[in-house]
Amino acid sequence: MKEILTKLTRLYGPSGHEEFVRDAIKEMVEPHCDEVIVDPLGNLIAHKKGSGPKLMLAAHMDEIGVMVTDIDKEGFLRFTKVGGVSPHQLLGQRVVFKNGTFGVFGHEKLDDIKDLKFEKMFIDIGATSREEAEEKVSLGDVAVFDRDLVEAGDRWIAKGLDDRAGCAVLIKVLQELSSSPNDIYAVFTVQEEVGTRGAKTSAYSIEPDLGLAVDVTLVGDTPKAPTNAVALGKGPTIKVKDALVLAHPQVKESLVEVAKSHGIPYQFEILDNGGTDAGPIHLTKSGVKSGGVSIPCRYVHSPTEMVSKTDMDNAVKLLKAYLTSVQV
Amino acid sequence: MEIKDFLEETTQATGASGYETQVASIFRRYIEGVSDEVWTDPLGNVIAVRRGPRENSPKIMLAGHMDEIGLVITRIEDGGFLRFTKIGGIDERTLLAQEVRVHGRSTLTGVIGAKPPHIQEPDERRKSVPMDKLFIDVGLEEEKVRELVSVGDIATIKRKVISLNCDTLAGKAMDDRAGVAVVLATFRELVRLKSQVTVYGVATVQEEVGTRGAQTSTYGIDPDIGIGIDVTFADRDDLVEERAKLGKGPVIAIGPQVHPKVYQRMVETARKRGIDYQIDPSPHPFGTDTAPIQVARSGVASILVSIPLRYMHTSVETLKLRDIEAAGRLLAEFISSIDAEFVEGLSCF
Repeated sequence: MKEILTKLTRLYGPSGHEEFVRDAIKEMVEPHCDEVIVDPLGNLIAHKKGSGPKLMLAAHMDEIGVMVTDIDKEGFLRFTKVGGVSPHQLLGQRVVFKNGTFGVFGHEKLDDIKDLKFEKMFIDIGATSREEAEEKVSLGDVAVFDRDLVEAGDRWIAKGLDDRAGCAVLIKVLQELSSSPNDIYAVFTVQEEVGTRGAKTSAYSIEPDLGLAVDVTLVGDTPKAPTNAVALGKGPTIKVKDALVLAHPQVKESLVEVAKSHGIPYQFEILDNGGTDAGPIHLTKSGVKSGGVSIPCRYVHSPTEMVSKTDMDNAVKLLKAYLTSVQV
Repeated sequence: MEIKDFLEETTQATGASGYETQVASIFRRYIEGVSDEVWTDPLGNVIAVRRGPRENSPKIMLAGHMDEIGLVITRIEDGGFLRFTKIGGIDERTLLAQEVRVHGRSTLTGVIGAKPPHIQEPDERRKSVPMDKLFIDVGLEEEKVRELVSVGDIATIKRKVISLNCDTLAGKAMDDRAGVAVVLATFRELVRLKSQVTVYGVATVQEEVGTRGAQTSTYGIDPDIGIGIDVTFADRDDLVEERAKLGKGPVIAIGPQVHPKVYQRMVETARKRGIDYQIDPSPHPFGTDTAPIQVARSGVASILVSIPLRYMHTSVETLKLRDIEAAGRLLAEFISSIDAEFVEGLSCF
């Protein structure tokens, strides 16, 4: 797991530019699948054939980032966000563009730090003129956090664990799942962070009988956190709801049953804000029974997202057991 | 009286978005006798059909949503008090001191408690209590609560229907069991009418969280005409715009989500048959099942018909039965007036 996660979180892959992540995952899963294809939007669809119902699992490859909207004559870059980025998370951060150019953030003079907005901020790539900046960066280029994965006891800390942690779990499941009666489509989706777009088109072509999103979820186990019973290290969560889906009661209950019978710890996910790929999947065509398994994660959408190793291992166990036993 | 019975039974049943099975089985029971076939789709929409004379008869879909706004348990506190969040647009200010049902391992009755006025700070007295300060008390010891209730369990408002007079009812979830009642009333009226079309009566799921059931059921049915049936704001003098009146008939919407020819035929039908109706000009996209119906597949000629309702999204939603009955008559007569030629004409602008 460490090797997979280190590799995946290090890669550059903002929404719409998932190719490095896709290539890496493809290499890891291809030997374990009957067929691996890339669809028009760039979703990687790994198919493990079976005679049973079609099960679709989705983990998204993309991460949040910042996009260049203007380059001024001194070579400073103005920018907008790609996905859910907050201005305060950017202060003091280093970002990297696809071609390896580094940038850091600065802001105009502010009377109050509360006035910090993207419009008041800029990226400094060390250029001294527009011309010099344009040699490295163009309008529309996207940068992501530059931050390597570290271990802290039972925890992993890295950027992009949302949702490379889900991708890593899904990769492990594909690698370790020996046989299943079900027809399994593991989809590594694109553009989740900008509106669960890749899951929408991939589910349309797959037409699954059952859908599961594998993503990260918010926790309430830090000082004075909002009410949320989910904690790191107490097991993967079984989805009850997020902003885009109410898990089908059958899916939720069958996941609980599998977790109980295999002695795998689990928690329930009730997410008021924030959607997952289960949203578009369950609304595909005439409807798909859907739910999700998530990995509890602290500091989501920061460069220092934190997950528990045992939660990830247990998510792999839960999904493997579920895929071999579930009946739709 | 059957429509009144249906409304009482369904509004007193529980059916938060995503958990509509109780309402679904009541709807099935009532509609089966006037349908050729009834089935449930993957998300739980109940679809009743009255087939037209031919295999390729035009298709009209009616949609009223079964789900109601509800609550979901997010944490079990020390002492066994339950914290919760909402499913759909509950008016948080109205939750205080409500009776609820908690659907755990068994169904528990609970109350939403509050800090007594005597010990409130002066500041607190002037403000409504935000949802994250509210909790459900089921009156059991913590240990027992933990045994019976789990995070993720659903809770719904408990409320008996009351008759304000013989024709005016107040209760919870009239939004949109009234619309489902219109589907039933229409099917019952159709029994005595000739029809050239196949009619699908859909009790949809998950409208309150984003019109989700209508999206998938419309895809599956692929209708020529789609009719969303919901409730609309009535008679409040604190509303700026002219609003519908209780008891003055169903409200026919006109705006970008309504096909002009369907609207025209609906109004003509009401006039011809002497059925009271009201008009709601609405330039905004409706947050009703009509929205996904209109844009399903290659697009559907759609309309919205609503029942006037006071105090929407509270537990005392108030309406008049005669508006539901009139809507059933109107829609049945409308359906009966539709033939293949009319449907072909829908794409000639």
